[in-house]
Amino acid sequence: MGVISTESPGRTPGVAARPATARVPLVKAVAVGIVALLLLLLVVQPFGWVLYNSFHDDVSGAWTLGNYARIVQSADLFEPLVNSLILAVATAVIAVGVGVPLAWLVSRTDMPFRRTIRVLTLTAFVTPSFIGATGWILLAAPNSGWLNALWRIIAGAEAGPLLNIYSMAGAIFICGLYTVPYSFTMVSSALDEMAVELEDAATTLGSGTLRTMLSITIPLATPAVIASFILSFIQGLTLFGVPAFLLTPTGIPVVTTKLAEFYQQFPPEIFLAAAYCMPLLLVTAMLFRMRRRILGRKQYVTISGKTRAGRLIRLGGARWPAFFAALLMPLFSVFLPYAALLLVSLTRAWGQGLTWENLSLHWYWWALFGNSETSTAIVNSLVYSTLGATLCVALGTVVAYFVERRVVPGAGILGAVATVPIIVPGIVLSVGFFAAYTRAPLNLYGTPMLLIAAFAATFLPIAYAHGGAILKGIGPELERAARSLGAGEGKAFLSITVPLMGGGLVSGWFLVFIPIIRELSVAVFLITPKTNVMTTLIYNAKDGGNYEAVCAMSVLLLLLTLLLVAAARPLTRLLSARRTSRKAADTAGVFPA
Amino acid sequence: MSGIRIKNLRKSFGSYTALHGIDLQVPNGTLLALLGPSGCGKSTTLQLLAGFETPTDGEIWADDVLLSSSRGVLPPEKRGISLVFQNYAVWPHKTVAENVAFGLAIRRLPKAELVERLDRALRTVRLEALRDRYPSELSGGQQQRVALARALAVEPRILLLDEPLSNLDAHLREEMRFEIRQVHDLLGITTVYVTHDQSEALVTADRIAVMKSGHLQQLGSPEDIFERPSNAFVATFIGANNELAGRSEGQGAIRVGDRVLTAPDRSGAARGAPVSLCVRPSQVRLSEAGQEAGQEAGAGGPCNVLPGVILRSAYLGEYRDVLVDIGNDQTLRAFVPPVRSYGPGMAVTAHCPVEACQILGPAA
Repeated sequence: MGVISTESPGRTPGVAARPATARVPLVKAVAVGIVALLLLLLVVQPFGWVLYNSFHDDVSGAWTLGNYARIVQSADLFEPLVNSLILAVATAVIAVGVGVPLAWLVSRTDMPFRRTIRVLTLTAFVTPSFIGATGWILLAAPNSGWLNALWRIIAGAEAGPLLNIYSMAGAIFICGLYTVPYSFTMVSSALDEMAVELEDAATTLGSGTLRTMLSITIPLATPAVIASFILSFIQGLTLFGVPAFLLTPTGIPVVTTKLAEFYQQFPPEIFLAAAYCMPLLLVTAMLFRMRRRILGRKQYVTISGKTRAGRLIRLGGARWPAFFAALLMPLFSVFLPYAALLLVSLTRAWGQGLTWENLSLHWYWWALFGNSETSTAIVNSLVYSTLGATLCVALGTVVAYFVERRVVPGAGILGAVATVPIIVPGIVLSVGFFAAYTRAPLNLYGTPMLLIAAFAATFLPIAYAHGGAILKGIGPELERAARSLGAGEGKAFLSITVPLMGGGLVSGWFLVFIPIIRELSVAVFLITPKTNVMTTLIYNAKDGGNYEAVCAMSVLLLLLTLLLVAAARPLTRLLSARRTSRKAADTAGVFPA
Repeated sequence: MSGIRIKNLRKSFGSYTALHGIDLQVPNGTLLALLGPSGCGKSTTLQLLAGFETPTDGEIWADDVLLSSSRGVLPPEKRGISLVFQNYAVWPHKTVAENVAFGLAIRRLPKAELVERLDRALRTVRLEALRDRYPSELSGGQQQRVALARALAVEPRILLLDEPLSNLDAHLREEMRFEIRQVHDLLGITTVYVTHDQSEALVTADRIAVMKSGHLQQLGSPEDIFERPSNAFVATFIGANNELAGRSEGQGAIRVGDRVLTAPDRSGAARGAPVSLCVRPSQVRLSEAGQEAGQEAGAGGPCNVLPGVILRSAYLGEYRDVLVDIGNDQTLRAFVPPVRSYGPGMAVTAHCPVEACQILGPAA
């Protein structure tokens, strides 16, 4: 019948026997080149400069091992290392000790208000820990802290302060408090994703609830617990804001604050700082290696969305006590510090006490419209975070695509490079970007580009891993189908893969945007008055002692972050909604499945 | 010769060799089934044909155009080859019509021609009514037809089908087999159809290529493959078969345990080489031990006679499936008329007509 003719596009003699070549098409070569160049600029160069600088003398500029020798020999430089390790271990112990039982209560028991506890814990997750620390300074500073004032009312004026947040114990408390959400999230998602059948299988074999928990549930969750311990340890080791706020005033140095000191002192010892990054890098690299081995290849679980409600363990009479215990976590990490920040931000002058006359929105007006410094920082934060997150997700996704689909030989190397920043603490990255881009030919100091690039580099591993996870869920044959119909690689990527990634890309963007807007340590050496962002402004204003302004700025940052988190989910859902035509929706149920 | 020509095609992944030099021809307008168990290299062959993999050695030609060689491949989008995937690969973010029109839009056809060809393709697979649906609103069989329509709409030179029916339920699978054959008869597109299901291959194909462990075992018509298998693997893979392992006793004779049996010999093996006697269960006849061979047993000429004991007997309505222990750790399966009540433990004699037996060598 010849309804569709078998025309042969390649049968012309001119094309006959043309040798097919292995030449990489120009477009692909250009794309790979741009990606490689960006990775070079964002990761390899800053990192390389840290390494290079660490072997040079600050004064003479000559090659030396002296910086390393000084770290080992000088007690002044060795003590912060020890303090950092203490802080890290204690943080990890608290995070796991509190986070794991909390995760179990929320995911596996019939404790009341489980969803509320989960939401509040995630609120603590998005709270920058240095802002939490600020709130706790208001609550538990030795003299002025409200909780201490309350204590003196109860115990008498002569009683010493009950709490002292300006101490190692205080710093451990805050670091632990704001790291709990990490372990909570990791362990609870492990518990949530665990197949109910595994537990049911044990139950049908006659195992009781407790026995099932001990022999099935807990062993299956163990990798997540260990991994969260390691992550919390790294968090405690690399946090900058909390020790800067709580330990620096009392003269207890840790590695991150010591690094800042090298920059702030005169003359600055930038090359020594580079060498001083190395122990930190070594430990984080080692720990991430361990974590990867423990989690194996299941490091990033794809979003299958097929969560099934497991059998809940009945707590009986312990239900409410468990709830009140679980409530302590949001009380300490959200309610108390948020309330303190909010109250102070709403007073004209904090020292004058809480009276109606003293209440005002003055500081919000001041921060938003009253002076150019703060309004610039707010605009900068939004602009840099938007651009940084976009660059980060675009680059991370493309690298993930190259790796996942093996677009070019050796794509794995690009992926490895994109993962490197995960082991680089923010403060070290700041050191690296400072070293790489405050000199010719790429002197970006004082430009927004510098901060955008640094932000993008810091969270590149998240974007890369997220992009990879989405791509794993999209079968390569969807693209291959497009290829076999005549679409080139670029066209197939843009018309098939990108739309299918849709919602995933949006969630990835938020996943990067939110940490960027609250990031302090990366920005700390890179800002200039013109390129200040909210976090660095809060950090610097705190030194000035203007708590009302600090609190107003903190509340604004928190509000902004929480708003974004709230917007992220519906936006993601909107874009990844399962397509349904209107016609089919009308006849739903009529048409046989 | 026009059509697809595959010359000495080899493909290695690291130290693993998936294809050991395959030679195949698919004349224009024919439907070739690539048949074999999983891991036989049939899907690799298809990926090479589609241009997603580069051969380690060898060449693929379509008419007089070199498509692939170890020096490089013509990219998939330039081959004029459509591929239908095992899991359909229907794009979930596009409607049925958008899916089918994709390849046409890539070719920048004038609007009128695009619409005409889209309609024609939808009509060919009877999907006109569902054109505005999204794939999530379609059944598996309908998605399969979308994939087929999408592949056909661009009027490909060559159509590749990668286990297109394996995700469908048994009933639908049987129906779609005939549909695919019908579409082929209608359009006459040169087609390569990968499957592990022998009956799918027998129903749809003009020619069947049986593969195992990266080697081509046999290329021939369905009748050739079934009636004149080139080796014991092909005989066993296609249809029910008895394979009695033994050693060649020279042309036309095989020693199985302590017996020498005779059969047409197509093994070409030297005396003493390992060969097998193959006979279809439907050709084997049974009689009770001690009795003369039944009239029907002796009717078809000389027989290889094997005494044994029944191990298992299953009544299947149309026939009885009997497994006989013939000693030397070998068993023989026989499909016999259901009237006889053969039970386990019964001593019987199996009669295998010499003309129904074949002596075959092992797989390549």
